Amino acid sequence: MTVREFIYDRLGRIILQIAFLLAVSAFLFATGTQAGIITILLLVCLLVFTLEQLTDFWRSKKRLDELQAIMSGLDQQYLFTECAPKPQTLYERKLFELLRLSGKSMIEAVSDAQAAGREYREYIERWVHEIKTPITAAKLICQNTDSDIRRRLSQELAQIDAHVERALFYARAENPEKDFIIRETELSAICEEAIQTHRTLLIQNGIRIETGNLKEIVYTDRKWAAFMLGQLLQNAARYHGEDPVITLSCKKLGQQVRLAVRDNGIGIPSYELPRVFDRGFTGSNGRKRGGSTGMGLYLCKKLADALEIGLQIQSEQEAGTCVTFTFPAKANLSKM
Amino acid sequence: MQTVMVIEDDQIIREELTTLLKNEGYLVQITAEFETIPEQVGSIRPDLVLLDLGLPGRDGLSLCAAIRKIAPIIVITSRTSSLDELKALDLGSDDYVTKPYNIPVLLARIKAVLRRNGSEAAEPDILEAAGLRLSLTRGTVTAFGETAELTRNELKILAHLMAHAGEIVSRADLIEALWDSQIYIDDNTLSVNVTRLRSKLQELGMPDIIKTRRGMGYQL
Repeated sequence: MTVREFIYDRLGRIILQIAFLLAVSAFLFATGTQAGIITILLLVCLLVFTLEQLTDFWRSKKRLDELQAIMSGLDQQYLFTECAPKPQTLYERKLFELLRLSGKSMIEAVSDAQAAGREYREYIERWVHEIKTPITAAKLICQNTDSDIRRRLSQELAQIDAHVERALFYARAENPEKDFIIRETELSAICEEAIQTHRTLLIQNGIRIETGNLKEIVYTDRKWAAFMLGQLLQNAARYHGEDPVITLSCKKLGQQVRLAVRDNGIGIPSYELPRVFDRGFTGSNGRKRGGSTGMGLYLCKKLADALEIGLQIQSEQEAGTCVTFTFPAKANLSKM
Repeated sequence: MQTVMVIEDDQIIREELTTLLKNEGYLVQITAEFETIPEQVGSIRPDLVLLDLGLPGRDGLSLCAAIRKIAPIIVITSRTSSLDELKALDLGSDDYVTKPYNIPVLLARIKAVLRRNGSEAAEPDILEAAGLRLSLTRGTVTAFGETAELTRNELKILAHLMAHAGEIVSRADLIEALWDSQIYIDDNTLSVNVTRLRSKLQELGMPDIIKTRRGMGYQL
């Protein structure tokens, strides 16, 4: 609060006071009081009024600063009224009371929304688990039939499966309850799981995968990591160029381990690169080829952040894309 | 022959799994009565139990603990979190496969668990077919007393063709079989490898032993 704001706020009262003083002076003058006495009276009154306004200003400024400091020190700012000091005036007491009521109803609304979000997530998870039974049944039926139909149907089923899996991880990523387990895992196990999950799509697109030495140990959740890697494999399969090859390699960087997923696909234009991790961003490639949801890399980023994995992407058009996961050192993992 | 017991409440999956496993040469036992599972497992004494965790009205994990003493278990579930997996493995299941499983992966896991528990002989090291003798551990092929060394890719290709000697093996089936063995190649690479394999076999005095059946695949 500045002096200017304060004066502007009180302008009416100040004008009234001055007008009152002038009127009293005029009255005293008209009834024969000496001009000198009136001047003294006026000066004294003005001094008292000014002092009163100044103390008022100083007090409210101090009070406001105090409240502001409390507010900025709060982690959950909506709990302000619970932490505010005792109201000093009647006006303040009434105001705080109103604020408290408003805060309370807000907290209720928020917790309702949170509960609804949680219920929705639980429903999605349950739905995903239920839908997996018929998908499994369909896969088995496929396996036991003639091979051409089997192959064509398997591709469709693999796609359904990939979409379902994304829905599950979306529900998990949007409601960051920590339901992952950090365990010691060999990188090759994660790669193997991701490749086998998406093998139908990869084989169908004529992809060759070259794996370097993947014997390094990382500390992460195997399922989540395999899901993220799977998103990259799907992208590489979808946006491949001539003679497509995906190369998986890893490198030790001090205590950290970096997994690089490199493809020789059509690449991403440089001006789109900063946005590829945005939710629902499909880019020019996605629009050209269709079937892109803009969710894969977004989910990767979300999950990587939760697992404290560094995620980087480099790409050159017509040359390929390289995505790296930097797995944290065991000692650096914050308590999750 | 090993007996695999399938405990699964979804009827279609149960039936299809039975067909699949029978085609793979296993004896299959199924049950639709989930109240007395430990007793049933006790009387059947299977070499392996495939246990669905989501049985109606039963806590799959406690079942797991009860069956464990009788037979090795592969838990099958649609729950995918690492926590579920950890719990199942803690309670003594030998492996954990999530729905919808890749069928080749499931079969490989079944084999691995059976082998680990000693009820299935280790994979034969030597394959013999069409006058060729293939040593899987040494990675060599022998014909007419001459031996040639093979690369991993060539070895797996030849092993698959020899295992299906006389049959026409389609290129797609061959590629899938290679992906099962962590060899992730494409069609072109397969052709290159088959060409190299043929020239090695030719040097051993076996030219044209791998025949190309146009539009269908290869045949040994």
